[in-house]
Amino acid sequence: MIEARHLSASFEGVSVLDDVNIRVRKGTIVGIVGVGGVGKSVLLKLFCGLMTPEEGQVMVDDVDIASLDFDGLGSLRQRFGMLFQNYALFDFMTVGENVAFPLEQTGDCPPEEIQARVSERLVDVGLAGSEMLYPRELSGGMKKRVSMARATIANARILLYDDPSAGLDPVTSSKIFSLIERLHDPNGVSVVVSHDIDRMIGVCHEWILLHQGRVWFVGGLEAVKMSSDPVVATFFDTASQGGGV
Amino acid sequence: MTAALAAWIDSSVRTWDLLRQTIVWILRGALRRRRRQVLQQLYEMGNRSVAFITVTLGILGMISVFQVLKQVEKIVPDFSMIGPAFIQMMIREFGPTIAGLMIATRVGSGIAAEIGSMVVTEQVDALRMCNADPVDYLVVPRFVACGIQSVMLSVYGVLVGVLAGAVTAYLFWNVPFETFFRLDLVQWGDIASGLLKAMCYGLAIPVISAQAGLETRGGSEGVGTSTTRAVVNASFAVVVLDLILSGFSYLVLF
Amino acid sequence: MTGVMARVGRITINTLVVVGGMTTLLGRILRSLFPLRCDARETWRAFYKVGVKSFPIVILTALFTGAIMVIQSGHYVHKTGATSLLGWAAGFAVFAEIGPILIGLMFSGRVGANNTAELGTMVVTEQVDALRSLAINPTAYLVAPRFLAMTVMLFLLTAMGDLFALFGGAVTAKFMLDVPVWIFLQQVMDAQLLDEYLLGLVKGTVFGMSIAVVSCYYGLTAQGGATGVGRAVNASVVAAAIGIFVTDFVVALMWGIL
Repeated sequence: MIEARHLSASFEGVSVLDDVNIRVRKGTIVGIVGVGGVGKSVLLKLFCGLMTPEEGQVMVDDVDIASLDFDGLGSLRQRFGMLFQNYALFDFMTVGENVAFPLEQTGDCPPEEIQARVSERLVDVGLAGSEMLYPRELSGGMKKRVSMARATIANARILLYDDPSAGLDPVTSSKIFSLIERLHDPNGVSVVVSHDIDRMIGVCHEWILLHQGRVWFVGGLEAVKMSSDPVVATFFDTASQGGGV
Repeated sequence: MTAALAAWIDSSVRTWDLLRQTIVWILRGALRRRRRQVLQQLYEMGNRSVAFITVTLGILGMISVFQVLKQVEKIVPDFSMIGPAFIQMMIREFGPTIAGLMIATRVGSGIAAEIGSMVVTEQVDALRMCNADPVDYLVVPRFVACGIQSVMLSVYGVLVGVLAGAVTAYLFWNVPFETFFRLDLVQWGDIASGLLKAMCYGLAIPVISAQAGLETRGGSEGVGTSTTRAVVNASFAVVVLDLILSGFSYLVLF
Repeated sequence: MTGVMARVGRITINTLVVVGGMTTLLGRILRSLFPLRCDARETWRAFYKVGVKSFPIVILTALFTGAIMVIQSGHYVHKTGATSLLGWAAGFAVFAEIGPILIGLMFSGRVGANNTAELGTMVVTEQVDALRSLAINPTAYLVAPRFLAMTVMLFLLTAMGDLFALFGGAVTAKFMLDVPVWIFLQQVMDAQLLDEYLLGLVKGTVFGMSIAVVSCYYGLTAQGGATGVGRAVNASVVAAAIGIFVTDFVVALMWGIL
């Protein structure tokens, strides 16, 4: 569904991705991991057209997104739902308004239906009845869950999660990851960027390891365990021995 | 030095482009869609600036009249023309321009700080993901609201300044209010010129400030830099526009 | 009714807190200056930064200000035919009032806002706390050099700026009002505006001090990450502008009485 070909990109002058080739197949939950850096977040933004690569192409459903005009890009983004690293909730709107926002912008949903879907989504993420609160009144975990509600309200088939459990305690992190699993559309794709290897193990079907801006490894969990590549071994060993960030 | 100039030119080009985008969105019906945001901005801008304008233009009125009368007192003891001349200057120049500079300071830095923070916390990206264009959603309401508020606040500023001046003239030199409040020298050209200036300032300030906000890079340092840049560029734009419009109205009226 | 009273009360208290904070800061700054106890290298750096940053835009502003004042005076001159008063009117307005104010406002934007942003970022990223833990007095190390630099610089800039404004005015007088440059300048000389020029310089110096105190105060009290820095800069430029007008009033009043 998503394909990256020979992707190269920089962030604030520093090269973070170098000739990256990735194919994300329909129905999979993909985990993207790698040591520190900005490359992984940049990759997510390249997928949904928030950034343009220096070289290479991004194909979504076999369409090169660079060829899309303004309206095309708009309808492309409606197929995506994104959870940002710092939630990116609109702090001048209530929780309810935040979650309703994507539906209001596309304009073809009547207000009563929007309200109903918002309530339903908030129940799904365990925040029933919080419509009137403002983001500043919520804890980190709650804000993450509101973000997930907003990202999934339009039933987007491609879900991008940028470090979903960052800064959260272990209990809340586990809740977030089981939500990721539950909200995954079998006809769609979920891409999770994270350092939380342990929790990703139960959820991700496929793994991509980025190292020094390049794709170092692609494969399922079994392939990871059997790999003799030193970088892979070091990364997954260190990470799963509780040394994960 | 040349690098700085190149950066400045690049930024100016993008600012003009933002103006173009804003106007295109307005022509595409943004006003109807963003009605609520426009009203919100009108309220906030007006509310936050009234006290500020009152203090600054009030003091300006007081000082100007004080200093002028002190000078004139030495040359010619006839104070009858001071009021009318002062009122004309306020309407034509000082009211709109000083109000404009104050708006560039308050509203300009406010817009850049708001939008800059949103860029840094990825809220602008989130807007794009929700299919809301940032120019449409953030810039257009501020553009329209500031244009309107600039005119209203300038008018208010003129009133405050003139009143303050009249009180000063009365308290210190016993100039009666009837002598001061004469509109003899005020022509329609003056009023038109003042209003035109106020409107131009009010349209330039939000575009420049929004551009600075949208160009924010980096964390807190970036937001600080953008806010600074917005105030400087917006204030300077007011001065430049003032020169252009003053020259223009002088040539047209004569 | 009580709602309005509560708001007025709250605003008054907030204003008093801010003014009190700034006065305390000013006290600390003065204690770092007499006797001179601030870091020499930081002071030189402050002078360089403040001067270099603000020179171009202040000079440009001054040029335009002179031009604008001539155009505005031109209206009257045209009406009354009293071209001989052009130099006096424009010169007086520029030296005594408009010059210092516009130069001060531009300086406040260019240097004051920048100052608040810098100090604010340092506070928010805990660099100021780090200084304290190294037993370095932040006021002496950070604030006093900037205070000195901004006061001296704005004094110099006003002095020079007034002259550039005259130049801008002279050029405009030639091109728009057909008054030859040397006649215009002669008129300014004849008007004996030394008194006004000095008044302008005093205003400029006082503006410099108030912009320094205000911008440092808001920088040092910033809180809340990137958003907080933005808000601090916003509050700082507004307060500085009010400060300029209030001190303008006080200086003008005192000058008039003396």
